[in-house]
Amino acid sequence: MAQSKNAFLNFFSGRKLIIGVPYVWFILLAAIPLLIVLKISLSTMETASVSNMIDWSRGWPSLTLNFSSYQFIASDALYVKTYLSSIKYALITTIICLAIGYPFAYFMARAPKHIQPTLLMLIMLPFWTSFLLRIYAWKTLLVNNGIINNALMSLGVISEPISMMNTPFSLIIGMVYSYLPFMILPLYANLSKLDVRYLEAAADLGTSPLKTFWLVTVPLSKAGIIAGSMLVFIPSIGEYVIPELLGGPNTLMIGRVLWDEFFSNNDWPMASAVAIVMILLILVPMALLNKSQSDQAEIKP
Amino acid sequence: MATAPKPQTGTESAEKEVLLRIEGVTKIYDGTVKAVDDVSLTVTKGEIFGLLGGSGCGKSTLLRMLAGFEVPTKGKIYLAGQDITNLPAYQRPINMMFQSYALFPHLSVWENIAFGLKRDGMPKEQIAERVEKMLGLVQLTKFAQRKPHQLSGGQQQRVALARSLAKRPQLLLLDEPLGALDKKLRETTQLELVNIIEQVGVTCVLVTHDQEEAMTMASRIAVMSEGYFLQVGEPDTVYEMPNSRKVADFIGNVNMFEGVIEEDEPDHVTVRCAECVHYVGHGISGHSGMSVGVAVRPEKVMLSKNKPKGDYNWTEGEVIEIVYFGAHTTYHLKLASGMVLKAQEINSTRDLSCGLTWGDKAYAHWSNEAMVVLTQ
Repeated sequence: MAQSKNAFLNFFSGRKLIIGVPYVWFILLAAIPLLIVLKISLSTMETASVSNMIDWSRGWPSLTLNFSSYQFIASDALYVKTYLSSIKYALITTIICLAIGYPFAYFMARAPKHIQPTLLMLIMLPFWTSFLLRIYAWKTLLVNNGIINNALMSLGVISEPISMMNTPFSLIIGMVYSYLPFMILPLYANLSKLDVRYLEAAADLGTSPLKTFWLVTVPLSKAGIIAGSMLVFIPSIGEYVIPELLGGPNTLMIGRVLWDEFFSNNDWPMASAVAIVMILLILVPMALLNKSQSDQAEIKP
Repeated sequence: MATAPKPQTGTESAEKEVLLRIEGVTKIYDGTVKAVDDVSLTVTKGEIFGLLGGSGCGKSTLLRMLAGFEVPTKGKIYLAGQDITNLPAYQRPINMMFQSYALFPHLSVWENIAFGLKRDGMPKEQIAERVEKMLGLVQLTKFAQRKPHQLSGGQQQRVALARSLAKRPQLLLLDEPLGALDKKLRETTQLELVNIIEQVGVTCVLVTHDQEEAMTMASRIAVMSEGYFLQVGEPDTVYEMPNSRKVADFIGNVNMFEGVIEEDEPDHVTVRCAECVHYVGHGISGHSGMSVGVAVRPEKVMLSKNKPKGDYNWTEGEVIEIVYFGAHTTYHLKLASGMVLKAQEINSTRDLSCGLTWGDKAYAHWSNEAMVVLTQ
């Protein structure tokens, strides 16, 4: 008896408690909500509420699973099309962010040490303004009688306004603008740690500066490229605000479908199913990537 | 410790082909800091030349200018007669083995060695052949597919050597080649490294702060301080005939007496110091009344309990420290003047029968030829 009381006390003391806190946090705030979403996605409209999670109608607790939402997603071409188009826009955003962010991060990392904190500060400065405001600001720049069109017309470059607003173009601009810092920061962290001796060694072995960049700098910053791309790609897929404000009705993004299911159709099982499929779409490639990386690290002759 | 002394016939080295010529090279950082100050040097083909000095003496800057990572502020560098002063690193037929190796972590051993060859556009079969040969040379054939982090320090060092030799450079630069290895490994690696270099027949410039490393490996060394050469010569010359107090002090241990020349004869000199009178068995270029330093290496000082005969080359003191090294023991003698004299005795028998212990009075003496008179 005394022993079991001790064991009980031990469990709640020191080490285990500290290890336990993040687990409890994770279970309460990530795992359980996710399971609830999963369960709702497998319910019918009538039973889709937290109180109806577990079916007591047979006298004992049981789960009634209903796959109709998933069947509907698979059968309706609109959903498939929207997923594909979300992935497409997220990919384009990621690639453009990488193309702009890499040189940006590279020059930041190579800048004199004493101005680097200032540069970092400038990268983070936009976060001080509300996200919504910043996206809305792009609207005033891009609309037909907006600043850009007016400027170009008064300069005589164009005779009538270019319609940029509510096109994939304006959507991509908004996404790249919003997510660029998430690409730059991990890349900068990685590149500023790059040992210049590797670059010198490459030069010493007869490699021109441009080749050295492709053969040494880029491979050695792989971790930063992956981290930055993930940070841009994942939130881009589910983005709702930017497509809503800048994308117009023709740019299909899954975030907006999700919104419609929840708030226009009030179809919670359908909305949950859309969300679960989206999570799977993101998780599966990530898991594969993780596995290939850990496999690579374990290669031994 | 030193390599076998080579005959010093000045004509012989003049006949040898000069590979590297450095003419009045100066490097100034930020407009004021003189890292390298008007250094000139020639290195002949097949030589292993050692640049020796403490940290911040300019040896690494000089090496980096040879590699092409720094451009001299003044002066010229010629390789086989061609001016390479402003040639970028990637166009020089010079390869370097970096301090702590700088092996590419994302590439295997094989790919690291092949890296430079691929850049030269060498055909694939030839690359494979050359890499295999290099792996054989450094005995790492079995490890070809490993990544650098899967190798021990000694193995990494050999990969770095193989990589720097793969392109058959005209000049090989070694930056603290053994600095990252522990002492025991260093001793075996030193000889191995020299063997491989001699087998390949490449000319070498070696930078080190470790005088033992420089003396074992190099056929000629330059002692560097504050950006210029204090002395250039073969290791035994620099050790036995240092040209200044600084060199004597930097290379090995030394007991430095300060005194004034009394007798100045063609066949001998006497120097009166506070501790004793030195009788030097050869003439020097000085004059009586001149202040000089007299350097005596600890291993040339003998200890005894009995008073030595004669008036010269001995002194007495109290044993204040006994440092046991296994093969030899160093005794610290406190002299009446306050100077601490070091004497190194070889432990030729197992009973350590010198018979001296802490607090004993002892006499130290040395031969007529043991000391070097230093005028600067």
